[in-house]
Amino acid sequence: MATVQLKNIKKIYPHSESKQKKGLFGKKKDEEPEKKHNLQITAEGTVAVQQFSLDIADKEFIVLVGPSGCGKSTTLRMIAGLDTITEGELYIDGRLVNDVPPKGRDIAMVFQNYALYPHMSVYDNMAFALKLRKMPKAEIDRKVREAAEILDITEYLDRKPKALSGGQRQRVAIGRAIVREPQVFLMDEPLSNLDAKLRNQMRSEILKLRQRIDTTFIYVTHDQTEAMTLGDRIVIMRDGFIQQIGTPHEVYNHPHNLFVAGFIGTPQMNFFQTRLECENGEFYVPLYGTRFELNEKQKQMIKERGIEPQEITLGIRPEHVSLCKEGGVEAEVDVSEMMGSSVHLHCSVQGEEVVVIVSGLELGEEHASGFSHGEKVRLHFDSNVLHLFGADEVNLL
Amino acid sequence: MISDRRKNALIFLIPSLILLGVTIVLPLAYSFFISFFSVDLKYKGLGAFMGFGNYASALKDQYFMGSIKTTVIFSVIVVVIEFVLGFAIALLFNCKIKGKNIFFSIVIIPMMITPVAVGLTWRLLLHSTLGVVNWLLSFIGITGHAWLADNATALGTVIFIDVWQQISYMVLILLAGLVSLPKEPYEAASIDGASRWQSFKYVTLPLMAPTFLVAILLRLITAFKTYDLIYVLTKGGPGTATEVVSYYIYKQAFTHLKTSRAAAMSFILLLILIPVSYIATRILRNRNEG
Ligand SMILES: Nc1ncnc2c1ncn2[C@@H]1O[C@H](COP(=O)(O)OP(=O)(O)OP(=O)(O)O)[C@@H](O)[C@H]1O
Ligand SMILES: [Mg+2]
Repeated sequence: MATVQLKNIKKIYPHSESKQKKGLFGKKKDEEPEKKHNLQITAEGTVAVQQFSLDIADKEFIVLVGPSGCGKSTTLRMIAGLDTITEGELYIDGRLVNDVPPKGRDIAMVFQNYALYPHMSVYDNMAFALKLRKMPKAEIDRKVREAAEILDITEYLDRKPKALSGGQRQRVAIGRAIVREPQVFLMDEPLSNLDAKLRNQMRSEILKLRQRIDTTFIYVTHDQTEAMTLGDRIVIMRDGFIQQIGTPHEVYNHPHNLFVAGFIGTPQMNFFQTRLECENGEFYVPLYGTRFELNEKQKQMIKERGIEPQEITLGIRPEHVSLCKEGGVEAEVDVSEMMGSSVHLHCSVQGEEVVVIVSGLELGEEHASGFSHGEKVRLHFDSNVLHLFGADEVNLL
Repeated sequence: MISDRRKNALIFLIPSLILLGVTIVLPLAYSFFISFFSVDLKYKGLGAFMGFGNYASALKDQYFMGSIKTTVIFSVIVVVIEFVLGFAIALLFNCKIKGKNIFFSIVIIPMMITPVAVGLTWRLLLHSTLGVVNWLLSFIGITGHAWLADNATALGTVIFIDVWQQISYMVLILLAGLVSLPKEPYEAASIDGASRWQSFKYVTLPLMAPTFLVAILLRLITAFKTYDLIYVLTKGGPGTATEVVSYYIYKQAFTHLKTSRAAAMSFILLLILIPVSYIATRILRNRNEG
């Protein structure tokens, strides 16, 4: 139960010393440069995270999302105290902890790579932290068995991690964290290796855990559903920078920039290069020969912000495109993906791809099993939910 | 397919097999063969067939048994000291310290000197009247002790010199083990609230256990076979104070020219060492599979 404050946190990984022989026998370090994406590289090294400021309230559930290599794990490891903070300040429960070792931070963490103790049984892996706290044996036993029950790993309690599958190991790693009652829970993609069913199950277990323990969570994931369903607020990162912080509702409905718009939501938002035009003081957006009038709220904002007509990227989510009998824009079906309750149609409109979600109810008899390649359809775009991004990729509204 | 591959493999192996055969298997087989006869280099020929006579007389030979006892004492003390000290040094080298590479080279040097050179060097250093050691000790009032010639100190001195030379071997094996330990469990332990001492006790020690065993067993085997250092330093003396089994066997073969007896004794020594090396290879194999 604690607040966590990150103030302008920066992490620089110094340039690797691999040229100056590393370790005995010039042992290779495992995290040698994979792909460095677009991380900023300075004289001191690779900047993995920068300008990271975030106030996490007590008992809040924060989710960090972003593409691989954007600095999520690095951020988490800095909060845990496993990586040093190059610049900035980190407060846990109001206490500056930059130089406090992990042991003194009262946190529990689920590692992305599990980091189980290879020489200990599953039981001992989960009991270790409690033993160190000199908890009575009976209580340890109760807690470990309870956690094992929740995670469905009771039958493996006597095994060594080596004899477990990836998903089983991951559950042990979760178990090791949840037997404790720390101030802050850090979870680095804790469900990434579980099958879909187990993942759903574990997701609700984490929600239950949260109700039971009621403490601060910082959770890293790739999975949108996890981010949306678990997070009180979502932090979207890219190349070491925060792109947007907001509730699931906010980041979905008001993406701050083009990146967030494209990252949140599956299938991805449709983007069109077009212009914001103005005629007789009325703003509109032309697209495929039709005109999108803006609604009152949008017009108001444009006036307030003094936005000029300009080149823009128009974003429309696939669920805001629908099929219509007449009018709209003509399109040709490329691929029809049957998702069960709905169909994802990948259509081409004048050579550009547009994705449409058609719910099962709208499908009708003839299209019950989807559409065939080359079929002609007509698309209607819902102009109430347009996203307009300027040349700097920032949302205009 | 497989038999073809095996045939090819065999063709490539033949040269080294022949070499090994001529230099190792043949002498070994021959010495095994003559251990059942009464071969004496003073006379020509195989002599009489003795059956297990040489073995029986070796086991009844109190000097042989005594030398085994000396060897066991020597080996156990040497290995214990080297292990404890060596692990401490390895732990130091596993930390981030400045100038580590220089210290490391210094620690490694003794290992690269041949035991005979080491022995000669130390004999000069320890010379009772001309040696540096006694000269230095004279400043604190200890004078003229003949370290290697005194019954009370000879074995201890030899042990000291052997530790001085061989500890780097131990450091090397243990350090290699420490360096290759995974680092994730340590991160997990620090999150779980373990102090450095607790990490050491609950993570490092258990993870290092197989390396410990291998290092100790391998070193035990080489210590058991120590010969050259003794030959140069004391020739087993004074009396039989430092007479280790390898040196005793050497004396049987080349001083007393009792070749077949020496052969029998060598095989008794081999019999002692086989289980030790068997355990060591078992552990090594298990670890590689794990
Ligand atoms: N020890 C290190 N030395 C140098 N660079 C590193 C080190 N650890 C991570 N990096 C770099 O920092 C960046 C951020 O890494 P991080 O592990 O935080 O990514 P991530 O967002 O967790 O990615 P993923 O989703 O794949 O786990 C990466 O580009 C990585 O290459
Ligand atoms: Mg990561």
